[in-house]
Amino acid sequence: MLETTNLRKTFKKQVAVDDVNLYLEKGEAVGLLGPNGAGKSTTISMMSSLIKPTMGDVTWHGKSIVEDPSVIRLHLGVVPQEIALYKELTAHENLKFFGKIYGLKGKKLENEIAHVLEMVGLTERKNDLVKNYSGGMQRRINIAVALLHEPEVIIMDEPTVGIDPQSRNYILEMVRRLNHEKGMTVLYTSHYMEEVERLCDRIYIMDNGRIIASGTKQELTSILSSEETILIELDRPYPELTLELEKIEEVLRVVETDKGMKLIVPKNSRLLGKVFRVADKHKAQMVSVNVQVPTLEDVFLHLTGRKLRD
Amino acid sequence: MRTIILLQLQRLRREPGLILSMFAMTFGFVFLIGGFGGGERIDVPIYFDASVNVEKQALLLDELNESDSFSFTETEPSTAKKQVALGDIPYAVKAMDSNYQMLIATDNLNQMLVDNYVHQIYANELRIQEVEAGVNDPDFRDKVDRYLANGPIALTSVTSEGGSGGFDLQKQSLFGMTLFFSIYTIIFSLGKLAEEKRTGTWNRVILSPVSKWQVYLGHLSYAFMIGFLQILVVFIFFNYVFNYDIGSNFPAVIVTVACFTFSIVALGMLMLGLVKSLEQLNALVPIVSVSMAMLGGAYWPMEAVSNQVILAISKLLPITYGMEALKDIAIYDQGILSLAEPLSIMILFGVLCMGIGINLIERKV
Repeated sequence: MLETTNLRKTFKKQVAVDDVNLYLEKGEAVGLLGPNGAGKSTTISMMSSLIKPTMGDVTWHGKSIVEDPSVIRLHLGVVPQEIALYKELTAHENLKFFGKIYGLKGKKLENEIAHVLEMVGLTERKNDLVKNYSGGMQRRINIAVALLHEPEVIIMDEPTVGIDPQSRNYILEMVRRLNHEKGMTVLYTSHYMEEVERLCDRIYIMDNGRIIASGTKQELTSILSSEETILIELDRPYPELTLELEKIEEVLRVVETDKGMKLIVPKNSRLLGKVFRVADKHKAQMVSVNVQVPTLEDVFLHLTGRKLRD
Repeated sequence: MRTIILLQLQRLRREPGLILSMFAMTFGFVFLIGGFGGGERIDVPIYFDASVNVEKQALLLDELNESDSFSFTETEPSTAKKQVALGDIPYAVKAMDSNYQMLIATDNLNQMLVDNYVHQIYANELRIQEVEAGVNDPDFRDKVDRYLANGPIALTSVTSEGGSGGFDLQKQSLFGMTLFFSIYTIIFSLGKLAEEKRTGTWNRVILSPVSKWQVYLGHLSYAFMIGFLQILVVFIFFNYVFNYDIGSNFPAVIVTVACFTFSIVALGMLMLGLVKSLEQLNALVPIVSVSMAMLGGAYWPMEAVSNQVILAISKLLPITYGMEALKDIAIYDQGILSLAEPLSIMILFGVLCMGIGINLIERKV
């Protein structure tokens, strides 16, 4: 349905996106996961026909949108990362304007406005100025605008950045319903692993402008099928402990986390005894120890040596 | 395109502060400089040095007051000096036998005009005196006066300001200030385009089925419409309410205003192409508009400027041609055909700036 082939984008001499191949099938929810600066936004800008690739192609049902962007525009909804609304206007006025530029008018336009307002739960506040909305409500209207013309595919660029957990949950549930109940194809970019895990059937992991892994969540985590994660929570940071643990032969990687550290070790390596002994040697107070199956975060860590939110 | 224009009008309705303030500034400055109706003359306090005898004082005062544009009033030296020192009056003239001095409190728009005028009167008088000394004829002065009164050739000099070598402050202030403040309105209206690029709404509109040229045309038409209406409303208001003379050829005024507005819209696009942010644009607009108004004759008539460099630069500015065309209509009742040169230069300026501006904006994407 929507496919990129050897997509590359350079800004002056900086390579932002390099040799990206990805595809979306009808009704799928696909995640594009990667840290800030990985090239996700540039990739979706090319996929939505906003910017032209330096090399490669983007096709919509086999037709190049690089050559003719109009083939996709009526079928595509884009939710940008920023709040792309006229904040001095009301939600209704914003929706009316964006509906009109998509060719909607009269009763059909009003019906669609009512429908999307209901979907984002802002019918009662439709005549309030957008600038008076909370961050979460602005994000919801930002999504509503993209849904107004009933697109076949919706591209969402980090739609939950900077909002409270309640609004975030509302948005995620809304995206899930759009995909499951209305069969809308979704391309969801985020650096929040849990959002992508919750919503997406397939996931592309991006770093430094390249796709470094792709597949279903199971396929991706199976990269680490021979490994497991030991999550240690400490009462305070112990830098010398990290250095000491890295010296243990079986430990594949040690990463400091907000509350302690994370060890990636071979499965069933029975290393806990050694870890406790090292901690005891450094008088480190352990608050908790958990042995986990690998997550997408661990996969990213394994592939890049960095955390998703670095 | 229509939807884009309507959207901008809707936004204007919600936040009309900028446009209203530009209207208020235009009205304020035109009133301040041009006064409320009637053909007012520039008041010039003058006092005489002891070297000027009483008879010559009266002759000089009569000669100076022959102009329709200036009103010289004799005052006491101490009063004039005190008033200038306190800033109550901007300037005064000290007339001496063969020279004059100007007492100046602050730089003033009219000071240069007064200086030029008095200089001209003294230069003529000194020239006659010099010849009189050379010919040694006691009746020389009478002969010169007779020749001047009934000369074989009568030469009438008329400046583009109107009158015989005078200067119409009302027309100057109305045209100058209106065109000057319209630059702010037009370019700040175009600034919405830069704002939309920053907030992301521009990309959202570009991703819709509306073509890019329609989006550009919508923004350009809106800026043109706002600027054009602002200028016309001010002209009509001052013409009908305060009897400011803008000439009787109103269609020519409309065409001139349209050409000027187009050139400024295009200049705005060029500036948008050159700046990297809305903040930079906001900083650049006052610099460009004030410089353009100073160099292009919006603050004072170009006839008062003798510097060749400034005159050469003024030929590159659309406001010079806007002022020239409007004065030609108001003073000489010129028609559109006679204004072909300034109008076509403004259009050419607009086409060039528009082409370069859009190109620069598009390259930024």
